[in-house]
This record gives sequence, structure tokens and C-alpha cells, in this order.
Amino acid sequence: MSPLRSRLQLLKAFLWIFLFLGIGELIRYVSNVPIPGNILGMILIFSALKFKLIRLKDVKPASDQLLKYMVLFFVPYGVGLMAYFDFISFYWMMLCVIAVVTTLLTLYITALVQQKLEKHE
Amino acid sequence: MSEIYQHPIFGILLTVIVFFAARALRSKIKFVLFNPVLVAITLIILFLVILDIPFEDYNKGGTYLSFFLGPAIVALGVLFYEKYELIKHNIYPFLLAVGCGGLISIASVSLISIAMHAPDVLIRSLVSMSVTTPIAIEITKITEGIPSLTAGVVIAVGVFGNAFGSGFLKLVGIKSQTAVGTALGTAAHGIGTARAIEIGPLPGAYSGLAMCVNGILTTLISPYVVLWIVGSL
Repeated sequence: MSPLRSRLQLLKAFLWIFLFLGIGELIRYVSNVPIPGNILGMILIFSALKFKLIRLKDVKPASDQLLKYMVLFFVPYGVGLMAYFDFISFYWMMLCVIAVVTTLLTLYITALVQQKLEKHE
Repeated sequence: MSEIYQHPIFGILLTVIVFFAARALRSKIKFVLFNPVLVAITLIILFLVILDIPFEDYNKGGTYLSFFLGPAIVALGVLFYEKYELIKHNIYPFLLAVGCGGLISIASVSLISIAMHAPDVLIRSLVSMSVTTPIAIEITKITEGIPSLTAGVVIAVGVFGNAFGSGFLKLVGIKSQTAVGTALGTAAHGIGTARAIEIGPLPGAYSGLAMCVNGILTTLISPYVVLWIVGSL
């Protein structure tokens, strides 16, 4: 495939992603459901792929790029922690207990249920 | 000099440069605390504190990057579709496992917070602790917590799950690798999924799917849990 053609496909793929994001935000705006528009967009794009309204290769170039750099996009929120130094130094014990206990419990219960019920080929 | 900091390009460049430097560091040294996100956030905070630059100035550029979290969440739907075929034959055990795990996570955060007399804002910010950072931030906006606190704790949980998750599960008698994958994705989202992919492609697929499913589940439930415990949104 020529480089220009693959660029155009990437652009088209981004337009698809933004279209589904837009539809999600629009539904959120008019219906007032307590679900963020981008999560509605995620459910909608999965449904559209599942029911063959769009093809995987139409959206994959853009989704791969977005997922590859997703962690970069939430760095600014992490930096926002600097405004809460006092809060964290006051509650750090509580935060650690909640985070560690909850994570271990969630890991164990999830793995246990899946291991007990899953079928093997 | 302060005009430069207030220009959006400052925040964008600082974030991108530090992030790619942190990623290069990780590829040299395979130590779990050298997680690129963790290192990048720490370095940027240090930089801003030392030069006495307010977060608001940095975030003029930061918001341009945060904006892409929206389309990135939509991209998770594409990932879900790609991996779905791989686990179709086990879909019900898988959904039940993620459902139980997701509910346990919300219940655990709520009950420990109540038992320790935590302030409301802590429950509001941590109820979405197990899910992937962009979705957790969206949930915190709805439950009216502190999105940055959510991001910090969620990333820390991911790093913790990545470092100790599979070892802990082995210790408590979990033998199925796919079960380990599902558990890592449910409890420790994308950073846990990175560990699951190291175990194998199939555990990696289970983990990625578990991350998406738990994200949706927690989005649907946590506003009501917060409303129930705290009494207002």
C-alpha cells in the first residue's frame, strides 16, 4: 500500500472513532444517563463491529495508535496529584489499606470464580 | 520567563519528552517501579515544584493530551471486539468472574472506607479504583470526587498488581493462567494487563477484555453505590 493511501486510511479511521465518540456524547447530552459519553461510544463501536456495520480494518489503524499512547494521555491527571500533597500525607495510611486490601481481594475472587467455572478444550 | 510556562506548548512538550525518556529507561531496566507513567509523573511533579511552576500553568498544555482519553476509551471498544473471538467459548464463566471481582472491589472500597471513618471525598474518588485510568477519571467526575487522586491511586494499584498480582495468586492456589489474566485485568486494569501479556497471549486477551468489562460494570454501578453511602451526588 502506498504511504499516502495508508495515511488517508489512518485519517478515516480517526474520523470513525471521533464519530462514535460524538454519538456517545450526544446520547449522554440528550438522555441524561449517568454514563460518560466516551463509554457509550466504546459500547457503540463494539456493537457496530459485532453487527458488521463497520469493518475492523476501517477503525483499527486509529484504535491501535490511541491504545499505544493511552498511558501518555493520563499523565497530566497524575501530575495533578501535586495539588493534593497535604491531603495525601494526612490520609496515606487509609489510602494504602484500601488500595492493597481491595486489590488482593479482587484478584483472588476473580481468579477463583474463573478457575472454578471455565471450560478447557 | 513565566509567559513561556503559560503557553500550552510547555506542558505538552514537557509531558511528551519526560514520558518518552521514562519509556526508554524502562526498556533498559526491567524493574517494576520504573513503570513509565509512574516515573514520568514523579519527574514532572519534581520539575514543577523545583521551578515553582503552578499546576494550572502546566495543565494549559496538559489538557490537550488529556483530551485524547475520550477517543482512547472508544478505542477500547475496538480492542474488545478483536479479543472477543478468542474467549467466546468461555464467555459466561469469564463474565461471572469479572462481575464478582468488580462488585467485590466496589464493596471492599466502600466497607473499608466506612470502617476507617474515611471522609466522603475518599469514597467518591476511590470507588472506581480497579478500572482503567481514563474510565476511573470519568466515573470520579460523576461521583464528584477528585479526579487527580483517582488517577494517582489507580496507577499505583496497577503497578502493585503488575508487581505482585501473579505471585500472590500462585501463593493462594490459582493454577489456571487464564484465570490469572482475568484477575489482573479486573483488579489492575491496563498496567496489570501488561503483566498478563508477559505470561502469554491468551492470558493477555482475557486481561484486556476483563479491563473493558469491569470498566463498564463499575461505570454502571458506582454512582448508585456512592449515592447510597454518601447520600448525595
